[in-house]
Amino acid sequence: MGRVLATRLARLAATLFAVTFLSFIMTSLLPGDPVNAILGVDAPRDEATVERIREELGLNDPLPVRYVNWLGNAATGDLGESYINRGQTVWGDTIVQRLPVTAQLAAMAIIIAVILAVPLGIIGAYRQGRWQDQTTSAGVQVALSVPNFITGIFLIWLFAVKLRWLPASNWNRISDKGIFENLKTAILPATALALTQMAIFSRLVRSDMIATLQENFVLSAKAKGLSDRYILFRHALRPSSLSLATIVGINFGALLGGTVVIETLFAIPGLGFRLINAINQRDILVIQGITVFVAVAYVLINTAVDLFYTVLDPRIRKS
Amino acid sequence: MKRSLTKLLAMLFAFAMIAAACGGDSSDDGEESTDTTAAEETDASGDEADDDDDVAEAGEEAEGDVDTEVEASTGERAYGGDIAVGLEAEAVGLRPWEDTCSSPCYNMMITIYDKLTELTADGTYEPWLFETLEPNDDFTEWVGTLRSGVTFHNDVELTAQTVADMFVIQQTGAASAGALGSAFIADVQATGDLEVTYTLSQANSALPATLSRAPVGMVFDPAAAEADPDGYSTAPIGTGPFVIESRDLDNETVVVRNENYWGVDPEGNQLPFLDSISFRPIPDEGTRLDAVLSGTVQSMQTLRQGTIRDARAARDGGDEIELLEFQGNNVGGGQFNVLLAPYDDVRVRRGLTHMNSQENVIDALGGTGISLPGTQWFSPDSPWYSEKVAEAWPQFDFELGVSTLQEYVDDPERSDGKAAGEPIDVELSCPPDPTLIAAMQVLEQTWTASGLVNVELTNFDQQTHINYALGAENGFVGEHGAHCWRWSSDDDPSLGLNPHLAPPTAEIAEAAGIPEIVSPLNFPNWFDGDAFGAAAAAIQTDDFDERFALYESIMLQFAEEVPIWYSGHTATAFVNDPSIQGLIGWSTPSGVLGAGIPAVEGRWAEVWLAE
Repeated sequence: MGRVLATRLARLAATLFAVTFLSFIMTSLLPGDPVNAILGVDAPRDEATVERIREELGLNDPLPVRYVNWLGNAATGDLGESYINRGQTVWGDTIVQRLPVTAQLAAMAIIIAVILAVPLGIIGAYRQGRWQDQTTSAGVQVALSVPNFITGIFLIWLFAVKLRWLPASNWNRISDKGIFENLKTAILPATALALTQMAIFSRLVRSDMIATLQENFVLSAKAKGLSDRYILFRHALRPSSLSLATIVGINFGALLGGTVVIETLFAIPGLGFRLINAINQRDILVIQGITVFVAVAYVLINTAVDLFYTVLDPRIRKS
Repeated sequence: MKRSLTKLLAMLFAFAMIAAACGGDSSDDGEESTDTTAAEETDASGDEADDDDDVAEAGEEAEGDVDTEVEASTGERAYGGDIAVGLEAEAVGLRPWEDTCSSPCYNMMITIYDKLTELTADGTYEPWLFETLEPNDDFTEWVGTLRSGVTFHNDVELTAQTVADMFVIQQTGAASAGALGSAFIADVQATGDLEVTYTLSQANSALPATLSRAPVGMVFDPAAAEADPDGYSTAPIGTGPFVIESRDLDNETVVVRNENYWGVDPEGNQLPFLDSISFRPIPDEGTRLDAVLSGTVQSMQTLRQGTIRDARAARDGGDEIELLEFQGNNVGGGQFNVLLAPYDDVRVRRGLTHMNSQENVIDALGGTGISLPGTQWFSPDSPWYSEKVAEAWPQFDFELGVSTLQEYVDDPERSDGKAAGEPIDVELSCPPDPTLIAAMQVLEQTWTASGLVNVELTNFDQQTHINYALGAENGFVGEHGAHCWRWSSDDDPSLGLNPHLAPPTAEIAEAAGIPEIVSPLNFPNWFDGDAFGAAAAAIQTDDFDERFALYESIMLQFAEEVPIWYSGHTATAFVNDPSIQGLIGWSTPSGVLGAGIPAVEGRWAEVWLAE
């Protein structure tokens, strides 16, 4: 166990080094200067001020020096401060403040997707080739084909503009406005994110379930006269969920860094919205901080998924 | 049979889902379809499309140009109420001296801070926190007297020393240092309890304009700012009509009524009327409009013609919204880098500009019937607008454009080093916005149709786009060719024009005999001693006619030398719930009608909610 852990930690360190190095180099080499974003392009420009800001931010140092400085600080937990939103720390004021928003969105999207996908997958497998299967497959195909921002725009139009049931934008924090008001702002973006996930999950459950239903232990259960529902949910679903668990974990990690479009569309103050603004403003330390955080989260979630296998399947635990 | 029916139903369901999703895109989709249509409609031969008068000639009101008239608010005022306002972006910070501030930011800052002066409906400036502001004879010294009894939100009293202490901080502020320099403010002293004296290094008759903008004009508590400069960004302290309650970056900034505000409206009503305002950045134009239509917010701003078009359509379709439209001096188009061949030759610039079909470009931008074609830095309703310039501007004339460009192409001494007869190479660059790309495609097609131009269309994100034009790495020459840009505002012309006309590089400054003046903001790199001299002369007098003549002469030189080309003036609007009243008809403390909503900067103190 210790060896496995050491291997994983070494892999994590290598991954983080690669991610931070590449993202630092790439963002630093982009044309554009954070000083322009700080000063504003039309503002009268005072070159002494430009120089002072560049010096304060360390932008006059060579690139390797800047990277090593950043890495040294990051190793002590200091991810620096935003170049643009001066005084805002990357860790406390950006990641800690915004992670709950993105994590909630991602979690809700995954939950909605799983709730929809499992029954659809089971129906598809149980009624393989019949109209129920074809209908759900068609629906799934549509959900896969439609980009989530189109789904989001449609949801806003229907539930906010036409029905006026839900707000069109922004975010009600649980701490300020309570869970009910929070859910009102979360449900539409979460659903927009969920539909694609649902489609992926349901296809996976369907194909795994089809394979499981042909296993000997299922045939044996049928021979014993157990009901189809009992066999599906008690015997077949669990072994058919291994791939689902993997993809749920991977996709949750991916969603932490992949909600950029939906957060921007709905004006939700999560990591994705902040990241896209940071890229546009060349706010390099914020880009670095969020990138590293998402990379760490991704690796940790995958590790957790591996461990979860042993809970789902006793055969893995024994081996 | 049953299986076939099932398949059919499944397919219908799938199509219905797709159709519903596409139909639900209330604005963005429309924007794209318009773009495509506009690009396709551009006559490939370059001939002007039928003149259906959708777009007016310069100087006339465009069909559908319904700038909301700026007139004093009427109706019974009511106190109370909370509103939410959708802004196009978040403010990077709320410190006037440090944080760059554009239209969304001004909406927030102006609730928290008062300014020393303010722009009025006729384009002049009136004192605001100053009660009086007077220059000496040669405009090198200005003396202002502050209102008495004004206090900051932290109960600190506003005195002349406050303004003098602000100056110390402003001298090193990222946003204010440059503004102080360009206004020639050398010193600010408290010469009485409420009397402030500005000493300038050069004459500047436009100082009141500088004092009406955030970096120098918004009044903050210098002691609090010095004690916690970073904290001031999220917990700003001003003397304004509202007090900050919370700031949740990228989500919501809430301001609540300042119970001790000093201001009253022209009828003597204590300001402000509203209990609170929640400012919400909603960057997506379609979502922002949907937020108003759904009641999520009660007001939104837009600087996009396509959104105004969509909002008009929603209103005309029965949605209960009101548009307050404003088309100011800000004008879009592009600039040629005149230090690079072939743009260094006026025949190229004039030829390409004659082949700029403003009508089709504006249509591609979604601005038909909304935006007027530009001929100068001033819109037809500006006091600085000149008919003479409008007539002199090289209008769309494809044949004339071809013949002008042909002269350069056939010139054996042409500046780009190509052989006579070869087409010129033009890099036309814009940020990757769908409507801008569509507009550039119109130009690309027209220029290409001449057979004399190879156009390379490039798109870079905003920061890269700016950086290429700024050219900090190559002595401010820049790496741009033909580059999308915007100019001008409703402020005094000197604020935008003077840095635009100063020498762009050290070499040019040296050659002009003014080595100490180099302006990185001269993006086209066009320098003309006469134009620069006219701009300098225009701030040494406050005689309007004299100043008008000087600015007219500069605009005439633009029309002759064409360092820049224009598409249309920037149409802007607030889209409001009908209950929002008083946004456009505010007044200065002395009762002079204010400027309305230039650049969709709302003055929220006089806004109230109708019953």
